[in-house]
Amino acid sequence: MIQAKNRLGIIFFPAFDWAISPTHPEREERLLYTQDQLWEEGIFDIKGIREYKPDIATADDVRRTHFCFPDVDSVVTESHLISAGGAIRAARLVMENEADKAFALVRPPGHHAMKIVHGNRGFCNINIEAVMTEYIREHYGPKRIAIVDTDCHHGDGTQDVYWHDPETLYISLHQDGRTLYPGTGFIEELGGPNAMGKNINIPLPPLTSNEGFAYVIDKIVLPILDDFKPDLIINSAGQDNHYTDPITNMNFSAQGYAMLNTKLNPDIAVLEGGYSIQGALPYVNLGIVLAMAGVDYSHVLEPDYNEELMEQDREITQYIKKLAPRVLEAYFDPRAVAGSRGMVNSYYVRKKDVFYDTDGIREKQLESVMVCDECNGVLKVETVSSVNPISVGIQIPINSCSRCHREGYRMLEESKKSGKYTYIKFINRKDREYLDF
Amino acid sequence: MFCGIDVGGTHTDAVLADENGIVATSKIVTDRNNLVGTIRESLDRILGQVNPGVVEWINISTTLSTNAIVEDKTEKVGVLVSSGPGVNPSGYEIGDNFRIIRGSIDHRGTVVQELDAKDMKGALKEFSKKGLKVFSVISKFSTRNPSHEGRLAELVQESGDYITQGHRLSGELNFPRRITTAYYNSAVWRLYNQFADAVEKSIAEHGVSAAINILKADGGTMPLDLSRMIPVETILSGPAASVMGIIALCHITEDSIILDIGGTTTDIAVFAEGAPLIEREGISINHRPTLVRALKTHSIGIGGDSLLSVTESGVQAGPERKGPAMAQGGDDATLIDAFNYSENAGVGDQAASVAGIRKLAEENGMDPGELARQAIQRAVNTITAEVNEVLEEINKRPVYTIHELLEDKHVEPKKLYIMGGPAEAFAEVLGKAFNLPVVIPAEFAVANAVGAALARTTRDIELLADTEKGQLIIPSLDVMKPVDEWFTLADAESEAQRYLLDYLKKMNADKGVVPEIVEASSFNMVDGFTTVGKNIRVKCQVKPGVLFTFGEKPEARNSGSGA
Repeated sequence: MIQAKNRLGIIFFPAFDWAISPTHPEREERLLYTQDQLWEEGIFDIKGIREYKPDIATADDVRRTHFCFPDVDSVVTESHLISAGGAIRAARLVMENEADKAFALVRPPGHHAMKIVHGNRGFCNINIEAVMTEYIREHYGPKRIAIVDTDCHHGDGTQDVYWHDPETLYISLHQDGRTLYPGTGFIEELGGPNAMGKNINIPLPPLTSNEGFAYVIDKIVLPILDDFKPDLIINSAGQDNHYTDPITNMNFSAQGYAMLNTKLNPDIAVLEGGYSIQGALPYVNLGIVLAMAGVDYSHVLEPDYNEELMEQDREITQYIKKLAPRVLEAYFDPRAVAGSRGMVNSYYVRKKDVFYDTDGIREKQLESVMVCDECNGVLKVETVSSVNPISVGIQIPINSCSRCHREGYRMLEESKKSGKYTYIKFINRKDREYLDF
Repeated sequence: MFCGIDVGGTHTDAVLADENGIVATSKIVTDRNNLVGTIRESLDRILGQVNPGVVEWINISTTLSTNAIVEDKTEKVGVLVSSGPGVNPSGYEIGDNFRIIRGSIDHRGTVVQELDAKDMKGALKEFSKKGLKVFSVISKFSTRNPSHEGRLAELVQESGDYITQGHRLSGELNFPRRITTAYYNSAVWRLYNQFADAVEKSIAEHGVSAAINILKADGGTMPLDLSRMIPVETILSGPAASVMGIIALCHITEDSIILDIGGTTTDIAVFAEGAPLIEREGISINHRPTLVRALKTHSIGIGGDSLLSVTESGVQAGPERKGPAMAQGGDDATLIDAFNYSENAGVGDQAASVAGIRKLAEENGMDPGELARQAIQRAVNTITAEVNEVLEEINKRPVYTIHELLEDKHVEPKKLYIMGGPAEAFAEVLGKAFNLPVVIPAEFAVANAVGAALARTTRDIELLADTEKGQLIIPSLDVMKPVDEWFTLADAESEAQRYLLDYLKKMNADKGVVPEIVEASSFNMVDGFTTVGKNIRVKCQVKPGVLFTFGEKPEARNSGSGA
């Protein structure tokens, strides 16, 4: 019998009765062959690995994280609450020491869902890592949390949710936005004025291979994590960097993913994208499971694996080597890279256009955050989209100072009085108050 | 009439029964060195007064294979394993003759790498040098494509008296369990077949020409001839016999808890809507999980003879057993003695119990009443905690569809059935602890043999159809045939039922069986944005059940006016 070094909890929820549409990559079949592989390998007979049912996230779990317009029920289905609930279950296992590590092997994914939700973007409605992260803080107190996103697409949603949160370090490794959806995720995107440098993007050239990823983890990610000293490391474990993925252009393998996981040593992993459902997912998921459990994964190889084709082009190696100091500078000396602009009185203001590709929704946002030395800063976002009239979301942060707390209530009263907004969403993390008007 | 013999580790129970109830019973001590002799004597006792011609079948539950495996008295097996990529297969090594052959098949059943000729040659040479006679051949994903197992079987054909091919044991996906199950199957094959020969002979000598069936751990039977090929299926059938017995004795329709309280242990079983629950994948033996289907039973070290002791953490009951209760002539105070002391249970010599409890109390400076009360409380707490854990495990069982997750089916017991020697003594306190009505079946002492006598044949199969590949496979029946692109889930369901029924008919084991579909799913397979076929999966079973129950019509039985 094989014994795992780490107690690993796996929440496997393939949602075999849910699809965005019958032939959409996010369909019933997506985790079918992963299930076959894990079952055939007898994963759950390995001592120390256990399978758990997902929780079902509540509307409050969503409301403490997102501004949903017109409301939670309209933008979220049961499938999203279960996949977020799967992530929450993973967090509970680790936080309550029922497991050393946990892997939420759930769908649909979440990392393109932003702070404001009008519909589905990039297959995501709600951000399951963010809902989980805020659940952790709500139930287990303040925590410094690092989210390392190894999906091939830039996690623009997670970046947006945590743009103003210095207690959450978001690091995204992805195929360069100039070559892939969603077209963002450049080094200069460093976070808002209260959280500058806590949003780190590592855009990688197409055809980056195991060697390149290993270099990025060793020379960029681990030094940054060493400095940030998170209480928890969460891995958004998208699997579309795989060389067989149909919608991306990277050259990563199951061995590479397992190696990356070993180096990163996350407490919790959450499945994100990955749509090579026969050629990659069964092997990548197996590799991640074994790596997290501390079981030998050296025999995990794709059927068509060819070592020669995995070799990384010298130009790519050079490019990545040059990238490293730039990213490190962005983290350690963010103001030098980002500069400062957009100040209005004590508020930092920015305008955003958001496109929801899956649902075809267009949105305009005007976001203001109090620049504050004492807390994350009160946040206000005005939004108007092709499906909702002008509305607003106001958030008092969990560690709010008294000034930002007062400001939050003043903004709420002002918004109500103005009669300008169809929907008003109010999140008061400090007093756990979530109001809809 | 129907005959059941349960050859247990200590006792062998036998009954002869018909629709009107139990006709004859027997309880003798098992001669572990002569199981056939024990069976013969049991038959003598129960068939003594009847014409052997009226016996329709004889069902036997035996510990032969279990004992051989647990006591490590099995034959050496040559094991050939083809793993391909995945978990390092050396972690699954079993026995002294375990050889890994390079080659691989993927999850769709596609051959990725042919079996390595050099590896095969080397293994064959080694096995013949060692003079091995039985073999097990197992490949990963052989339930999707058994061709590599077939090829490996051919390799050892010449020197093999018996070869177990993994895919024939179960259609379930679980490579390590397939290895273990196939290994044990070959390891007990010869011993079991010698036993089967002797049993057949002995029954013939009794002038009985009835069908002979062997009990399995899932509470069903299989024909003796089939059991000769899959003897591993005979392991751990004892607890299942008792569970089937209680089904026959009581008409159970609700969610229920069944406790079979013996001298040393208590076996727990749970029923959902009157049906016993089955282990998700299979039972474990020697701490190794297998693919042998089994009823979900759980054994804990609390019984009537559990030794009482006083430690720093309070009064203990069990798990140690030194001997019978003092009420029954033992030397040390046990749980039964505590019941005699504080509940007036009236088992055996009550005075001996009182003396024993007083002595133990005095030695530990306790009040005897308090000691007896605490001992009982401890035992009850242990049992309730274990039952709750079993229920929690059942209710937390993972599901894979949104529909099932939201439906959230829960088992909530409405009744508590207690059987076994100390049942009467435990009934009241356990009823209170669970806050459930208690039923003690009248003839629980031979429930195991009744269960054996009335258990029907069970069998389960898995069908997989891949319309892109144009192929249908039922691994355990060795069926492989082409299907066209119009093949549907409904077609698959009726094919599964048809194949299962035909198979049982051929085995002459279709009496009272109805194959039912337990799982059925169909996935569209998409390549790019085009649907290229369907991946259809169906599980079909004849579930465990008894031929008839006594509990249904007790009036008829008592008045003797039944049809």
